[in-house]
Amino acid sequence: MTKRQASGQRPRASMTRHQHNHEKSKCLGILRQLSAYIDDELAGDICHEIRRHLGACPNCEIFVFSLRQTVSLCRHSPVPSLSTVDRSLMRRKILKAAQTR
Amino acid sequence: MGTSAGSHPPGSPSIPSQTAKVFDTLFRDHVDLVYRFAHRLCGEPETAQDLVQETFLNAYRGFDKFRGDAQVSTWLYTIASRACLRMRRRRKGAPERELSLEEFIPTSEGEFRLQIPIDGLSPEEALQNKQLRDALDTAINQLPKKYKMVLVLRDMEGLSAKEVGTIMGLNERAVKSRLHRARLFVRRQLSAQGHGQTMPDHEHAVLE
Repeated sequence: MTKRQASGQRPRASMTRHQHNHEKSKCLGILRQLSAYIDDELAGDICHEIRRHLGACPNCEIFVFSLRQTVSLCRHSPVPSLSTVDRSLMRRKILKAAQTR
Repeated sequence: MGTSAGSHPPGSPSIPSQTAKVFDTLFRDHVDLVYRFAHRLCGEPETAQDLVQETFLNAYRGFDKFRGDAQVSTWLYTIASRACLRMRRRRKGAPERELSLEEFIPTSEGEFRLQIPIDGLSPEEALQNKQLRDALDTAINQLPKKYKMVLVLRDMEGLSAKEVGTIMGLNERAVKSRLHRARLFVRRQLSAQGHGQTMPDHEHAVLE
């Protein structure tokens, strides 16, 4: 999302409503493609455009960063494991159920 | 049955002792994979063990239905996914809610700037923090099942979108769409549980 300007700041004071809406819709368009961007599934020219936008839009850049971190945490979440006892108990139960049902 | 994830089982055995032998190999080679998946789907060990049993029981009975045109692991993921949905339907009747992309569109600057504060740590290091681990588990467990299943298969089990589509009976586009919503949901929930914070203005420019 294009960063909003604090009142009194000069640089974007001259931004028209049209420009602002254009920037905002760009942010939303990018937000919809972020997973594909993170997963490297987009064409080179689209990636280039997104990177250019991110360089100019701190809000979008922060959003991508936190989404990347979220995905990364999911990918590295601890692996649940079974004990040997549970494993063999389960095997017995399955074979028993298979014979009785 | 093959001896490792990804191998193809031979044809259906004709006598019970052969079936038991094939089952033993299948169980030995894939029980950890199925348990890991089941635990991630169910969120707790007891239900996960029920799901593992249901999965292998169905696999035991369905050897003859396995056509060998998919990996054994994909076949087991498929059986487990269906069993999980059946178990959920038996337990509670509330319909699953859909996640709309619109609900994740930030309406304020603060929502854009939600942070996952892992302070420069690697994900492995960050996940040594129990509070963060619990928050992540809670966020994932709050996902509606069909979104959770995609996230677990894709981001946690590491399968491709195509494989996830095969398992869930979806096209790749639908898989990617669900995955994107699931990730946005988890990001927001993680932040909402106090694992996100807004950055002071002066730090914005520092982000790479």
